[in-house]
Amino acid sequence: MIPIRRLIASVATVALLTSSMTGTARADDIPAPATIGTEQYLGGSFTMDRHLDGFDKPLTSNGDFVLSPTKGLVWRTLAPFPGTTILDDHGITRIDDQGNRDELARGDQFRQFVELISAVLAGNWQPLEQHFDIARDTTESNAWQVILTPKDGSTIQNQISKITATGTDFVENVRLEKPAGDHDAIALSGQSLQSLPLPPEFANLLTGAGQ
Amino acid sequence: MALRAILWALCLIAMAAFATWQLRGGHTGIDADILSLIGQENADPNGPQSDIATVRHLLANDGRQAIFMLSHSDRDTLETAATDFADRIAALDGTQAITLPGHNNDRFADLMALYSPHANSLLSPSDREELTDGNAETLYRRAIQNLYSPATTLSSQSLKQDPFALLPAFLSDLGAKLGTGNDVIAQGGQFYLPVMASLSPDLRSSGNDQRWVTGANAALQSITDATPGLSVAKTGQIFFAVAEASRAQSDVQRIAIIATIGILVMIGLVFYSPLPLFGALLVVGSGLLAGLAAVVAIFPAIHAIALVFGATMIGISVDYALHYLVLRSDAGSPVDRLRKIRPGLSLGLLTSVIGFGALSLSPTQLLSQIAVYSVAGLVAAYCSVLFLLPLIPARDVRPSSPILKLHDGLQAILGKTFAPIRVRLIASAAIIITLALSAFLIPGNNDIRQFGHGNDALISDAGKIADILGLGGSPVFIRIDGTNPQDRLETGEAVRDALTPLIADNRLGGMIGLSDLIPSITRQTENRDLVTTGLYDRFGTALSDQLPVTITAPDKAADYLIPDDNTARALPEIARLHSNGSDIIRLRNATDIDAISTALGDIENVTLINPPIAISNQFAAYRLWAWIALGGALCVAAILAVLRYGLSTGICVFAAPAGAILFAVLGGYAFGIAQSFFTTMALFLVFAIGADYVLFLAESRNGPHDDDTRLAVLLSLISSVLAFGLLATSSVPLVRDIGSVIAIGLIGAWFLAFWMTAPTKNNTQTQNQRGQE
Repeated sequence: MIPIRRLIASVATVALLTSSMTGTARADDIPAPATIGTEQYLGGSFTMDRHLDGFDKPLTSNGDFVLSPTKGLVWRTLAPFPGTTILDDHGITRIDDQGNRDELARGDQFRQFVELISAVLAGNWQPLEQHFDIARDTTESNAWQVILTPKDGSTIQNQISKITATGTDFVENVRLEKPAGDHDAIALSGQSLQSLPLPPEFANLLTGAGQ
Repeated sequence: MALRAILWALCLIAMAAFATWQLRGGHTGIDADILSLIGQENADPNGPQSDIATVRHLLANDGRQAIFMLSHSDRDTLETAATDFADRIAALDGTQAITLPGHNNDRFADLMALYSPHANSLLSPSDREELTDGNAETLYRRAIQNLYSPATTLSSQSLKQDPFALLPAFLSDLGAKLGTGNDVIAQGGQFYLPVMASLSPDLRSSGNDQRWVTGANAALQSITDATPGLSVAKTGQIFFAVAEASRAQSDVQRIAIIATIGILVMIGLVFYSPLPLFGALLVVGSGLLAGLAAVVAIFPAIHAIALVFGATMIGISVDYALHYLVLRSDAGSPVDRLRKIRPGLSLGLLTSVIGFGALSLSPTQLLSQIAVYSVAGLVAAYCSVLFLLPLIPARDVRPSSPILKLHDGLQAILGKTFAPIRVRLIASAAIIITLALSAFLIPGNNDIRQFGHGNDALISDAGKIADILGLGGSPVFIRIDGTNPQDRLETGEAVRDALTPLIADNRLGGMIGLSDLIPSITRQTENRDLVTTGLYDRFGTALSDQLPVTITAPDKAADYLIPDDNTARALPEIARLHSNGSDIIRLRNATDIDAISTALGDIENVTLINPPIAISNQFAAYRLWAWIALGGALCVAAILAVLRYGLSTGICVFAAPAGAILFAVLGGYAFGIAQSFFTTMALFLVFAIGADYVLFLAESRNGPHDDDTRLAVLLSLISSVLAFGLLATSSVPLVRDIGSVIAIGLIGAWFLAFWMTAPTKNNTQTQNQRGQE
């Protein structure tokens, strides 16, 4: 009855997809971002400003992340409060600063996320086209811009109204707008492609996610 | 005579017009739902709800749901196909709503609107445990992390109403309690997606269920053809009911055609004229018409089973017609001929009316309807014989008739079996004693599942879907009684506490009750106190420091979430968890019933109900009532017989239909036919027809038309055995059992009618012989 896990998954998917664009978005008519190979991972830092409608100041957090087409995403918030969110084929798991795990969502359907990310990284927008209308453009600074708008009747329409991602070699900014007027602005920096294996501190988190 | 015939014909026309107006105008409904057989007692409406009434309510609710399980190895392909399929099902006339995982976001908004204002009163069990154990800091840390998590349901609105993010945990736990069926399921490399259709309440009773099932099957076929690799399964009471009804209808149609042709041939071979056939049809038709008019005049809705059983009295009314029609034309005027058979006819009617009238004393509407139909129908058939048949030109039985030759042959054989009155009395005593013993000693089998044929494909589909959705195990459920809704909610919470260990042990797959959706006010008050003291008092300030908003403690005087119209609109599931003043707890995968029963032992106002057992008990009660009514009718018949024929002959006359019943009971037992309520009802037919046979013979015994009566009884037997005997070839166990029991009983009735009324002098002259005189 209550698709709470589904809802969380949907939101997570969007977050993942926007994050996944950090090294992606190849299209014929716009500059191509770097592609993450299956033996690679993308690492970098983020700053997220969460703007809540009616509140003057955003909730700002920062930290680092790693994204692997085969392993999943580790989103590690360092400030103002340490905490980690893991999205992989086991589901969505939160880990607090004391190591306590809170499994938000679990199921094989989340395996789709990683597969979806891989498709995006390969410049294959088809998986997204099922749920989003996709507009592509270039900015004045020759950066590419992708605007994702949920299709009418899409399952995600009630949670996300628009996603805008821009970047050059990687995705550098993501704006995630919600129907209630809230939005998240995510700035990604210091990104680089590295070869697997993941650094031990991230690899250990992923290993424990399924436990 | 002509005037009486006209008046009676006008009565029949009026009855036909009335019945047509009632049925076509929708003033009286015909209920074809098997559920209507149960739980519709003539009981005190203010009394406590019976188990069977609860079962009926739940089954009626569940019966309004059809589940389609689509599966494919590719998730996207599956979701596309499911969306297309759901649209097709939604477009069918009779579909009320469709539930498709991932397509109910409006529902989520409704739920948030309902629950958000009460977020501080709603705690998941784990959060409640943390707060009870003093581990509020864990929840505070989770709330902080939620503020900055990329995967969150946080919004400006939720932050104001639920700053500690308690509601997502409550809803997540509730989703788990509700079980699978709300999401795509992955098993063994396949993805499964359930499409659930809620059906209109009147779909099945309006008779449109066949059309809906046809449309649903077409949609399934279409989506399967369009999607290579797609597998589908379906389940729901509507599929079983339509399959069962189609099979029964097909069987009965086939049998009716063969029986009708057989009876036509038989009468044709006796009279070589269509006029007697017309007379028989007139009597039978007027009986059916009057029976129908009577039930639609008395009952707001009549059940198809009552109509079917009522219509079987065709086997009795045709006796009345044949009894008159076989009288020879040289036996006098129509009035003279009528006078000869009138005593037997009247006694036969009286006996049958007593038998069926006894049924009307039962507490069940079904039996009352059968009684009214039969009594009215037989009286009308009787009147038609008296008023209409004399107007039809008489036709004599042809001497060359092969049926007549058969009759003569049988008479000769039967004549050799005749025994003195003393032997017949001993046999009568043996019959009465054995019948009484049989009624007590032969075990009944009232399991409703045995009555249907079952459809292997549907059963297989239902098993697959139950496995995938984790809905296997016993269908038991729990009913919570009590006049105060809050008391029931508290009891529901106590049941949850008692059964939670069994869920942990996998002895119970899961459960969902009203108190899971709407906690009691007592529980909500406790939760508010825990949240206030554990979170707001300790961490409210700290959380406020992180947010651009001041966190204030919950208002302890705020309204509570209660089960009312508003909650019912947002939570339609409440209808499945409530039944006429009682709350229902649904159990999933209940494998250890004893453990559940033990766990519930100390909780008051809680009843564990097993639907199949409750239904079987109900049919056992029906069967008992039928036997009591049958016993009463036999007693009255015995008194009448003794008054009419004297003690010795009266006992023998009475023993004939009693022996026919015994014959049917023992024969059925010997052939392995389950002794159910329905076969007991069939015994009424055996009794009524058997009484006719013996009364006709007893009244004409030693009289000039004795042989005519014997021929009439043989023709009645042939027509009845043709009709009911062919039912025994049905593939539907219920129909087969009824047909078998009646056919066996009637053969016994025929033999005993002759044997018990053996002539007191050498008067076994055949009609052929008479005709030659």
